[in-house]
Amino acid sequence: MQPRSHSPAASDLFDEAFLARLELLQVIARRLFRGRQRAERKTRKSGHGLEFADHRDYSPGDDIRYLDWTVWVRLRHALIRLFEEDEDLPIRIVVDVSDSMLTRGGGKLRYAQQIGAALAYVGLANLDRVGLTCMSRRSHVTLPAVRGKGRIFRVFDFLRSAPVGGATDIRQGCSRVAAQSQQPGLTIVLSDFYDLEGAFEGLNLLRFRRHEPIAIQVLDPVEADPTRTGLRGDVSLLDAEGGIAREVTLSPATLRAYRDAHERFCRQLEQSCRSRGIGYVRANIDIPFDDLILRLFRTGGILR
Amino acid sequence: MIFTGWTLAQLAPWFAIGATAVTGLYLLRMRRRQVEVPFAALWEQVARQSESRKIWRQFRRIFSWLIQIMLLALVGFALLDPKPTTWLHEPTTLAIVIDRSLSMSAVSDTREGERRIDAAKHDAVGWVRTLRSMDRALVIAVGETVAALAPLTSDISVLLDTIDAIEPAFGEADLPRALALAEHAVRDQPGPRIVILTDGAVDPAGAEALTACRTLVTPCEVRQVVGPAQNLAITAFAARRYPFRRDQVEVLTEVSNLGDSRAAVLLDIEAGGVSLGTRRLELDPGERKREVIADLDAARDRITARLLPVSSVDDHLTTDLGPTLDDVAYAVVPPLKPLDVTLVTDRNDLFLEAALLSLDDHIRLQTLAIDRALETPPPPELAEAKLIIFDTGAEPLPRVVPETHVVFFDPWRHESGPCPILKRADVTRPFLTEQLRRHPLLDDVVLKDVNIARGTTLTTEVGDTVLVRSLGEPLAVLREREHATLAIGFDPRQSDFPLRTAFPLFIDNIVRFVEQRSPGFVASAPLGQSQELLLADLGLDPTGVTRIRVLTPGGVAQDTPVERGRFRLQAAIPGVYALTSLDGTSVGTTVDVAVNQADLEASDLHPRFAGTPAEELTVMTPAPPASALGGPLWTVIMLCCATIIALEWGTYHRRLTV
Repeated sequence: MQPRSHSPAASDLFDEAFLARLELLQVIARRLFRGRQRAERKTRKSGHGLEFADHRDYSPGDDIRYLDWTVWVRLRHALIRLFEEDEDLPIRIVVDVSDSMLTRGGGKLRYAQQIGAALAYVGLANLDRVGLTCMSRRSHVTLPAVRGKGRIFRVFDFLRSAPVGGATDIRQGCSRVAAQSQQPGLTIVLSDFYDLEGAFEGLNLLRFRRHEPIAIQVLDPVEADPTRTGLRGDVSLLDAEGGIAREVTLSPATLRAYRDAHERFCRQLEQSCRSRGIGYVRANIDIPFDDLILRLFRTGGILR
Repeated sequence: MIFTGWTLAQLAPWFAIGATAVTGLYLLRMRRRQVEVPFAALWEQVARQSESRKIWRQFRRIFSWLIQIMLLALVGFALLDPKPTTWLHEPTTLAIVIDRSLSMSAVSDTREGERRIDAAKHDAVGWVRTLRSMDRALVIAVGETVAALAPLTSDISVLLDTIDAIEPAFGEADLPRALALAEHAVRDQPGPRIVILTDGAVDPAGAEALTACRTLVTPCEVRQVVGPAQNLAITAFAARRYPFRRDQVEVLTEVSNLGDSRAAVLLDIEAGGVSLGTRRLELDPGERKREVIADLDAARDRITARLLPVSSVDDHLTTDLGPTLDDVAYAVVPPLKPLDVTLVTDRNDLFLEAALLSLDDHIRLQTLAIDRALETPPPPELAEAKLIIFDTGAEPLPRVVPETHVVFFDPWRHESGPCPILKRADVTRPFLTEQLRRHPLLDDVVLKDVNIARGTTLTTEVGDTVLVRSLGEPLAVLREREHATLAIGFDPRQSDFPLRTAFPLFIDNIVRFVEQRSPGFVASAPLGQSQELLLADLGLDPTGVTRIRVLTPGGVAQDTPVERGRFRLQAAIPGVYALTSLDGTSVGTTVDVAVNQADLEASDLHPRFAGTPAEELTVMTPAPPASALGGPLWTVIMLCCATIIALEWGTYHRRLTV
C-alpha cells in the first residue's frame, strides 16, 4: 500500500473555527495556571534565574556574587543563594498515523491531529519548544522543535502533509523519537495503541530515556464496542493494517467478547502506564477535542 | 391422514427440482462479507476463544441445508393438502340438491344483479367449504331432469367445479324425484344430511315434496333464495293453416303476466328472421292475454314468438320481463300435404270426377277402373288411398275394400256388397225430406227438391250419423269408426243432384271432412323429460317405422326407437326438433315439431309453499358451520414454514439487520 500523503479531510482539519477554539483554549489555560505557573517552565536545578529558590553552604569556588551577605552580617554563616533556573520545556507530540487510525473514515486520526495541534498551540503560546512526529511502521516524519506562537501554522502544515498509512508499531516509533530527541522532555503519544506487544514497551522505552511520556489513547467507541454496529453473521475480517483475512461468525456473544477484550486491553495499558508514572488519558472521538484538552489541563496530567 | 391436493406423482418432480436447486446453491461457496477492522489481533484472540464451537460451525451449513430441504418438504406437504383423520370425529354425508329450474334464472334479492341460481350456488359453495376430510357430499341438480352431477366424494375441488357448472334449465324442478334420489344416496351413509337450495317457486308436487322433507328420517334442510316475482312469459303458441286458404296461416300466442304489477311488453312474431308482426300488450297482474295474428304468409314453416321490452312506458307499468328463457316460443306450420283420393268408377260420372278435379290443389286424385278394383290383392291405388270413392254405377263393387275412409254411392244396387252399412229397403223416387244441416258434410249443401229415380234406405247402428232421410228412412249414413264410412243410398247419375250447385260443395265437404279426420298435427310439444308422441300426429306415416332420428335445436342427432307408431321425445330445450324416419314406408321423410317451455307453473316465480309448514324449515340466512380449526391443515403448515424462515433469518442470516 502506498503511503498516503494527506490525512483524511486535511483541508478541513484546521479551519477558522478550529483556530478560534485554540484561542479560547489559550485564554482558558492562562486563567487556570495563573499564579501557579509563569509561562516559563521551572527546573529543579539552580541556576541564574531571578526567583530565589534555596540556600546552601558556601563551598570554595562558588561565585561570591551569590553569597548572601545579609545572613553573613547577621549570623556570620556563609550561605550561597540558589535561584531557580528558567528554561523552556521540550514538548514532543507523537501522532500515530498508522492504518488502524484511518478506519471508519479516519475519525481517530483526525481527532488525534486536532489534539496534537491544540497541545502544540498551547505549548507554543507558553514559549515552549514543540516538536511533532508522525509515525507508523512504514513512515516516520518529524517536525523539529519550534518555538513561538507564530509557528503554529508550520505545525498545521506538517500535520496536513505528513504521510499516513502503515502498520502500528509503537515500540519502533517511540524508539526513534527517543533517539532523535537531543533533550528529554514531555512526549505526548497520540495513538489507539492497537499494538498488543509494543504499545507499553514503546512508552516505557521513552521513560527509560528520561522522557516524560504521556499516552493519549484515541478510541472510536463504535470500534471499541462492535455490538453497536449491528454486525452479524458470517464475515471475513480484514485487518486494516494488512494480513490474512479471518473468517468468523459474529454472534452477539462474540461481539460482547470483543468488547470485553478491548476494554481489558485498554485497562491493562492504563494500569501499566500509571504503575510506572506514565500519564494515560483515554480519548473517545465522540468527545469534543477542546473538552478533552481542558480536562487534561484540569487534571494536571500533562502540564505542570 | 388423507390427501386431497396434489398427487405424489405431481409433486415428486417439483420437489426434485427444488431440492436440486437448493443443494446446488449450498454447494456453491457462500461468499462472506468482508469487514475491515482496526485491531485484527484482538479479534484473533476473541475468535480463538470460541474454538470450542468449531464442530458446530462445520455442521452449520449442513444444518442450514437441512432446514431448507425441510422447508421444501413442508411446502410439498402442504400442496398435498393433508387432512388428518384424527380431526374427524363424526363424518357427514351431505346431499346438496340445487334447484335449476327456469325460475332460478330470475334475479335474487341477495346481491345486485345476481341470479337466484348464483345465490344458491354461493350457498352451496359455503356448504362444501365446511366439509372436513372425512365428510363426503354429492351434488344433485334438479330441473325437468334430475341428475347427480358429482358422486359422493370428499374432493372439494370436484364439488366446487360441479357447482360452478350448474346453470338454470327450462322447465320445472322435479323435486320429488330429486329428494328420493338424495335420500337414497345418503340414507345408509354415516351422518346423512340433505340440503335443498331452491327459490320455492315449484309446482304443487314440489311443494308437497318440500313439506314431506320434514318427515324424512334423514335430516333435511330447505334453504330458500328469494327474489322479485315479476315475470312475463309466453304460455302458449301455435300456428295453423286456414282450411280453405292453405297458403296462409294464423298464429295464436298466449302471453301471461305472472308478476304482481301491471306490465307492458312487445310481442314480436318472426319467421326466418323476418318480422311478421309486432303487438304491444299491457297486462294486469295474473292476466293471460291471447293474441291472434291472422293472414300470415305460410312461405316459411317455422315461426318464432318473442317478448321484447318496451322502450318507454308510463310510470305505473313495468317492463321487467323476468327470466328470458320463457320469453321465446316456437311453432311449426303444418305441412301442406295433398290427400290421396282414389275414385273407383265406371267412367260414366263426369260430374263427380269434375268436382274432384276442382279440388286438385289439395288432393291427389287417382281414378281406378272397376275391373282393376276387383283384383286380388287390391292394387296400390286402393291400398294407399286415404279416401276411396266408389261410384261404380251398375257395376258390382269389390268384395273387400281396404281399411281407409270410403264413400259409397248407391252401395246396394246389387244384392251383395262390401259396404258395412247394410241395406234396409229399396225405394223408388225417394224424397229427401230431412237433412242434418249442422253436419260438416252438409255445410252449404241443400238437398231439398233433389229428384232421385231410385235408391236404397239403410240400416243404422249405434253411433251412426244419419245425414239424409227420406220420409224418416235413412238414405245417407255416416259411420265413424277407426275410419269413416259414408254410404249414400242413391246413384247421382240417377238424380239431378250433380246438376245442382250443392253437388261440388258436397264433394268438397267430404274431402275436407276426411282431411280433418286424417292424422292431426301437433303444432308444439311441451318441454319435458320424456313424453310419448304419435308419429301419425306429427304427419309422419308410421307404417313400418321402427326408428327415427331426432335432431335437436342444438344440432345433436339421436336415434329413437318407435313402437306401434309411438316414440318418446326427450326435449330438454325449446326449439324446433326435426324427426326423420329411418325405415318404413316413410323412410327419409322429415317432419318438424316445435317444443316450447309454455309452462305456467315453471314461469311463475312466486314461492309455492309460503305459509305452509315447509316454510318453517326454511332458514333464510344461516351461516354455514365453521371449521373446527378455522382453516385447512395446509395453512398451518405454511404458517410453520413462514415461522421457520423468520427464525432462520433472525438467527442465522440476519440480513435484515446488516
